Formats: sequence, structure tokens, C-alpha cells
Amino acid sequence: MPLRRIGLGLAASSAIFLAGCARNAPQDTWQPKGENAEKINTLQWMVFPLAGIVGVAVFALIAYILWRFRDRGQAIPHQSHGNPAVEITLTIIPALILSVVGVFTFKGIFELAQTNDTQMVINVTGQQWWWEYDYPAQVVNGVEITQPIITSGQLVIPTGTKVLLRETSRDVIHSYWIPALNGKKDAVPGRINLLRIQANKPGIFAGQCTEFCGLSHANMRMEAVALGPEDFAAWIANQQRNAESPAQATLAQEGEAVFLNQCIRCHQVNGLKKADGTAAIAAPDENVYSGAVPNLTHLMSRNTFAGAKFDLLTADCRKNVWSASPDEFGSAYLKGVTSDCLNQTNLRGWLRNAPAMKPMYADPTKLAVSDGKYRGMPNLGLSESDIDKLVAYLSTLK
Amino acid sequence: MAIIERPAPTAPILLRAPVTPSQSMGIVRRPVTSTGWKSWVFTVDHKKIGIMYGVFAMFFFIVGGVEALLIRLQLAAPDGKILSADLYNQMFTMHATTMIFLFAMPMAAAFANYFLPLQLGARDVAFPRLNALGLWLLVAGGLILNSSWFLGGAADGGWFMYSPNSGPVFSPSNGVDFWTLGVQIAGFGSLIGSINLIVTILNMRAPGMTLMKMPVFCWMILVVQFLLVFSLPVITVALVLLTFQRSFGATFFDVAQGADPLLWQHLFWIFGHPEVYVLILPAFGIISEVLPTFSRKPLFGYPFVVFSGASIGLVGFGVWSHHMFATGLGPISVAAFSIATMAIAIPTGVKIFNWTLTMWGGKIWYSTAMKFAIGLIVLFTIGGLSGVTHAVAPSDTQQTDTYYIVAHFHYVLFGGMVFGLFSGFYYWWPKVFGKMLNEKLGGWNFWLMVIGMNMTFGPMHILGLQGQPRRMYVWTEARAGEGFFNFGFWNRVASLGSLILAIGILLFLINVVHTTRKGKPAPLDPWDARTLEWITTSPPKEHNFDRIPVVHHLDDFFHRKYQEDATTGTMVQIATGEQLVRDEEANADAHIHLPSPSYWPIAIAIGVGTLGMGVVYGVPIMIVGVLIILGSSFGFVLEPSVADDIDYDPPMSGGQDTKELAPLG
Repeated sequence: MPLRRIGLGLAASSAIFLAGCARNAPQDTWQPKGENAEKINTLQWMVFPLAGIVGVAVFALIAYILWRFRDRGQAIPHQSHGNPAVEITLTIIPALILSVVGVFTFKGIFELAQTNDTQMVINVTGQQWWWEYDYPAQVVNGVEITQPIITSGQLVIPTGTKVLLRETSRDVIHSYWIPALNGKKDAVPGRINLLRIQANKPGIFAGQCTEFCGLSHANMRMEAVALGPEDFAAWIANQQRNAESPAQATLAQEGEAVFLNQCIRCHQVNGLKKADGTAAIAAPDENVYSGAVPNLTHLMSRNTFAGAKFDLLTADCRKNVWSASPDEFGSAYLKGVTSDCLNQTNLRGWLRNAPAMKPMYADPTKLAVSDGKYRGMPNLGLSESDIDKLVAYLSTLK
Repeated sequence: MAIIERPAPTAPILLRAPVTPSQSMGIVRRPVTSTGWKSWVFTVDHKKIGIMYGVFAMFFFIVGGVEALLIRLQLAAPDGKILSADLYNQMFTMHATTMIFLFAMPMAAAFANYFLPLQLGARDVAFPRLNALGLWLLVAGGLILNSSWFLGGAADGGWFMYSPNSGPVFSPSNGVDFWTLGVQIAGFGSLIGSINLIVTILNMRAPGMTLMKMPVFCWMILVVQFLLVFSLPVITVALVLLTFQRSFGATFFDVAQGADPLLWQHLFWIFGHPEVYVLILPAFGIISEVLPTFSRKPLFGYPFVVFSGASIGLVGFGVWSHHMFATGLGPISVAAFSIATMAIAIPTGVKIFNWTLTMWGGKIWYSTAMKFAIGLIVLFTIGGLSGVTHAVAPSDTQQTDTYYIVAHFHYVLFGGMVFGLFSGFYYWWPKVFGKMLNEKLGGWNFWLMVIGMNMTFGPMHILGLQGQPRRMYVWTEARAGEGFFNFGFWNRVASLGSLILAIGILLFLINVVHTTRKGKPAPLDPWDARTLEWITTSPPKEHNFDRIPVVHHLDDFFHRKYQEDATTGTMVQIATGEQLVRDEEANADAHIHLPSPSYWPIAIAIGVGTLGMGVVYGVPIMIVGVLIILGSSFGFVLEPSVADDIDYDPPMSGGQDTKELAPLG
């Protein structure tokens, strides 16, 4: 039995240590890729080994006692009621250890809360069940953002830049978490919470909403994408561009008509014009409870959709982006979704029947509590030919 | 109310029972049968109430366990298809709610109800009918909570029920209403029970039992009751606000109307964190009885254990915001709560050291009860140490809402609390039922639970640190990684572990059935125990003690059996437990008053339950509920504490105006 206990203790503590050495889980909390996460990691490397050492010491003591003082027919021992000196020592030692941990924790908390040397600001808004990113007009590392950029799912930031996320929510509480860049910060409706992130090298970093936010909480994912200075400038330039109408008499142009007939009720495409030449303006606030839906102007510049749950890229193309080295990552990402890489299954499935792919409150007969407004994309009942046309159109939204 | 006489040996004080009407409220005869189902439903005997708490809790332990197994089945592979998103959300909400409110708290109440008066040397609790009322309110709450499964779906907002997700728009089914009302009503029961137990402990200890001679179990129960008294009103208020928002159009948590959703989180965790100690301290109390008994030594540092328990209770009210490190409290609050959380590790560490050192120099008997107690020390230490890692707030922002937290609190609550409760089952079963649980089955029970528990919750440390969040009905290969830390492997291990754990618990149930049918009668003092509950028969008579014991020592029963040899310092037996019990029977008190059973506690609980259902199903039902509550409250208040002779069937003998409910001597 004592051996078993030692084994248990060792297994538990070594499991915790080994977890720090993993290479392959994209949300590993022990693989910091930026300054803030590194600060947290330093604290982890202090407190986890300390906890492990204390644990092993306690288990060793228990194992020894269990072996040494087992019933071997000895007399019933003297009824000693304790030893105050031992008690006080055993109170002070943990108190001292924790004081040291406390000092470093204190320092860490205030350092991580620092925002005064921020170099870039992005507004991050959560809603059921996707993230919207809104880049206010600003100058970042000499690149000027002249008009606000609105995108979703994948947050694009420049490397080596202190980026301040201003988080809020349009419905329930969500939590923004890119483990490689920083810890979690909740997006609370009615409040603005600040979270600073910074990425050292180009790359794509996985994340997941971590505050339970209702039915499809598990399907509310996100990624942060870090690009080098030139790639980031190219990305900014592309995002500020309006969408252009497809060429005459193409399938894509027919798709634009379908879009104007159906999708424009909620989804904005910047620069899209109605048949009479006036600007087509989406009105998500009339149809969706949170009042917002993803802006699709540059859909194909992102490689996931629907709360980053589904890939727009086929498996091979996705692998090329995710496993690209930091040097090659920028160009791989900026390629966007090319026609040979488009994941037709996911996109067509979504257009055919979105609620079947992701649980949402999108049944028109059950919307009485939300004043008839949807939470999620409903089944539009599109015909297969409409879907063909729409896919052709959406593919032009680079 | 209990009238406990303590006649002085020389000049007995004889209280006349009040001359009273024989009919409660002049309508119904009082229930006085001592056999059959009525003797249970209308009882005010703390032992019967304790057993009913235990049966209720065990039933819901199985219900919550099945919910847990379904969750593990769903997560055994990526993109699980066993449960839909909606059903999964209901499942984890109800698993937590059931385990906390319908298993853990009632099971602790079962131990407290049964053993507190016995350990204190009292004949019942201070307010026996309130005791019954607490039980029946809990039953009403539990039924309302679980009726939701059959009435349109259970609550799906998590046991923490954060606003605004719990609001009428985001949780449109009635599940949250049933949850709110069920928890509210069960909470009333706990609140009533806690006041009752505080009064019992402070006023009804046997002569000579000063607070510092009181068993540690009673101390821990006392701390827990104070935690409940101060924390339950907070959740009561929060639940009232939520009920009014959901059912009557209030806007307490409606952001569009200017509400701050963090209000709910503060209210919830000001209750919710002390609640953690409400769950764990009774188990600490149990093993603080078991460890000395089976080490044949008093608890090491009794005052340190007592005061560390009390300070855990006190500091437990100052750490609630460590559940909210990611909500944007600002660095000053985060730092303060981070430090407070580290501080609470100190008294907890003191307890671990004291239990460990209790065994030092002992003569350890590895009974099943002792194995579970040692299991608690080891597993709780793992949970405690992982707790320290998230007292470091920045580190917690990586861990919170991941499986690392799930691992942490299951080591604390399963490895800690449940192992403590099982230790209590094996230790006190002979006391309650007069039969010994099978020790061989107990060994299998213990080792399967240890292996199952570590296989289930151990891998969750890895999963959490690898970034698998909680409360997700599916996990995906896209985030699973490869190699040693692949989610798939560790999720399978955890799911397999949960099956082993379930088999371990099944063995306990088999043991119970086996013992009930074929168990051998227990000796009066099977463990060579130390405290007063063993100085009476097993199971105890209705009036607990023939003679109220007079206490001279901590662990008085032990010191009546053993004396220290002046030369060697070892203990020499001077009497057996049997001799002591016979001695008590030979010197029984002449007059023992016990309160009579009553219809009214269960009647009030039925009224409260009806009122609760009325909140969901309309005002007419609410009115019926209110009328039942009013009527039975009058009955409750006007009822005399002791029934008249002619209520008894057959009438009590002798025509005396006091009742002797059990043959004495």
C-alpha cells in the first residue's frame, strides 16, 4: 500500500510536469507565443513545481507513517494531544512559501494589467456564437487604417505589437481566450474589459470561448493570426477595399442576385449595390437578437466561418497554413481561400441547412420569447442551383 | 419541541408535561404510531430523519452519477453523438446541481442529524419538528428540480446559472424556473436545519462537555451551520431576483435595462464559495473521528484542527471573487482575492499535517473506514495543491473554465468529500443499523473507487492544461493535438475510469444489500471507538441514552475504557464498551420526555412545493399553496409538544402525565 501511494503521488505530479512539454495541442497553455503569455508561463513554472515538491514530500511522509506505524501488535500508545512547536512550525513553513508565491503573483497581476504603452486597439465583441472584430481607424506601425475594418472569427494582428483588445458582448457573457497569447478575459455585456496580447512571430493561434454562453457554446471558436509588418500592411490594404461586382453573365453574378434577394437582410458586403444602383445595406438588427451578423466583404480572406467552427479550406490546404513556418506563414495565409482550396462540403452544407450543422435558435416557430428574432442562421430553404450560384459569388469575396 | 430532563442524581426535578388537547388544531389526532410508514413520514426523531436524509441523498447520488456517466460517454470520442447540445447542457447543469444540493448537502445533513445529538450526549435536536420540516422541504425542492426532466426539459445554464444567459430570452424552457424554485426550497430546508443544529450544539451538550471537549465532527458541523446561516440568505435573495425576472417581468439582470450581469456572479459566489466549505468540512469532521479511532490516538493538535476549521470558514467568506478572475475586476481586486485565496491554503495545510501526525506513533488498523480516511488525505492534498496553482491569478486565467478546474474540484469534492462520507458509512454503519458492512467487499469498494477516481479525474489535469474547455458538448480533433497529449487518448482514459468508479460504487450498494440480508450483528463497540455515540446500544434506542452521560474528557468514551499506565505511558484497558453500555442501562433516568410525531412539517413542505409549482403554472396553484402553508403553519404553532395519552394506540400505561416512550432499564 505505501508503494501504491508513492506511485499515485508521483504519477499525478509527473503528469502535471509532462503536460508542460507537449508540442502538439493548439490550445496548450504551456506554449506561450507572446509576452503576456510568457509572463503567465513564468508564474506557472514557479507554482507548479513548488506544488509538486510539497505534494511528493507530504506523500512520502504519509507512506512512511502508514508503513512504520501499522498495527504490529504494539501496545495502545500514549494519548498525546499534539505538540504546539511542531504545529506552529508547520503553519509558518507553508505561510512562508505562499508569501513568496504571493509576491510574484502580485507583480504578475499588475504587469499583465498594464495598458499604457499600447500600440494598437481592436474592439472585440462576442455574441451567440461568434466573435466580431472591429478595427478603429488608427495608425499601426506606420500603416494607416483609414476607415474601420469589420471582420469576424479570425483576429489578425501584427507581430511584435502590443495590441489592446476592448471586449464586450451583445447578449450573454463570453470569454476570449487565445492560450498562446494571454489568459482569458470575459466579454461582459454592458462592460468593456481590456485584454492585451502580443505575438512574437507570425503564426495562427487557436482559441475557444470559455464562458458558457448557451446552446452552441462548444462551437464558438476563434483564431488569432499574427502577420509580419509587410504582410499585415497588405492585409490592411485588402480589408479596406470594397467588394466588386462579379463579371457580367457569370454564375457568380447570378449568385450576387441571390445574395441581394436573401442574404442581404442580415449580411453586409461593403460596396454591394442593388439593381437600381443604390447601396445595399443589411439590417441584422431587424432579424437577429444580438443585432449583428458576420460581415462577408472579405469572407475568403478568412479560412474559417460560422464562429470559426468550420473550415473554408480543404484539409490539405488547412494543413499548409497551420503548419507553415513563421517565415512562410504570411504568404500562406494571405493567399486566402483559392478556388482549388475551397471546402465545398462545409460551405454548401451550411447554405443548405445551417441549424443542422450547428445548434442554434433558428426555428421560426419558436422565436416568441425573442420577439421573433433569430439567434443563429436559419434554414433558408435555398434550391441547389441557388446554392451553386451563391458559392460562386461568395468565392469572389476575397 | 424537545424537553430534555437532566435529573440530578440526588434531587430529581420532575417537570409536568403540559396538559394539552389531544387533537392538533382540534381536527386530527396526532400521529403516534411507532411502526409502519407513518412512523417515518411524521417522525420528529433525529435518527429517523437522519436515515431518511441518507436514503434521499444516496438516491440522488445515483441519479447524479448516471448523469456523469452519460457526460463521460458523450466525451469519450470527438464529436460525440450520444447527447444533443441541448441535452448535454441540461446534463452537466443537473449533474452539478444534483450532486451539490441533493447529494452532498443532504448526506452531510444525514450524518449531522444522526450523530450530532449522539456525540453531544443529547436525546434529540433542539427543534425536532423544524428538523422534520427541513427534510421535507429538501424533498420538495429535489422533486421540483427533477420534475423538470418530464416537464419540458431541465435547466441548461450551468449550476452557476450566470445571468444574462439564465434570463427568459436565453433560456426559454421552464427548466431554469424549476431549478430556481427547487434550489430555493431546498435552501430553505438547509437554513432551517442550520439554525436548529447551531442551537443544539450550543445548548444541548452533555454536562461537562465544554466546547473544547466536543468531538471535532460536531465542531466542523457547527462551522458549516454558521457558513450556511450567513451564505444561504445571499443565494436566496439572488434566486428571488431571478424568479421575479423570469416569471414576473422584473429586470434585475437585464442589460438592456441597465443591469450589470456581474451582480449575479457576486451574489452567487458569496454563497457559492462558502458552499464549497459547507461540502468539505463535514467530511473533514468525519475523518477527524475515524483517524484517531483507528490510530488509537487522540487527534493531533485538537485546538489547531478546530480553529483551522473555524478560520477556513471565516476566510471562506473572503475569497469568492477567485471564481471571477477573468471577469475584469481590475488588478487591485484580483490581487486581493488572489492573496486571500493563498491564505486559505494555510489552515487547510494545518489540517492535512494534523491528520498525518495523528497517525504518527499510532497503532494503525486498516479498516475500510480508515482506508477511505487516508484516501481523503492523499486525494484532497492533490486537489488542494492544484488549488494553490490557481490562487496565482494570472495562472488561473489560463486554467479557469478548462478541465484542469474540473480535475481540481473533483479531487477536492470526490477525493475529499465523497471519500470522507464513505469513511463515515463504514465507520458508523454498525451504529445505525446494528450490522457490520462487509470489510472484504469494502476493500474492493475502496480500491476500485481509488483507481476509478484517479483514472477519471487525473487525466483531466492534462486535458485542461492542453486547453480543453469545460461545458462543451463536443470536443474536436481540430483542437486535440497529436501524440502523448492527444485529447482522444486522455478522454478515453477518463471515460473508462468513470466506469470503474461506477463499479466501485455499485459494490458499495451490493455491500449494503448483502449486509442488510446476511450481515452479522455488530458488537456494541466494534472499532474500540472514542466518542459518546458508542456508549449506547446499536442502533440507539429512541431516546438515545438511558442516562445522560457526564463528560470529563475529550474522547470521553475512550477514557472510560482505558487508563494510562503511570510507568510505561501506554494505555491499559479497564472496561469494555459492553460493560459501559450495560452500566448505563442499569442506571437509567426515571423520566424521559420526547416530542411526539407531527403531521405539520410535511404538510408545510407540501404547501411550499405547491407554491413553487404555482410560480410556473399560474396564480391559482400559488393560492392553493399559500393556503396549505397558512393552515399547516397554524397547526404547527398550536400543536403541543407532547401528545396526550389517549392519542396513543394502545394508550400509554399507568395514566401518568408523562410519557415513557421506551422501556427503560
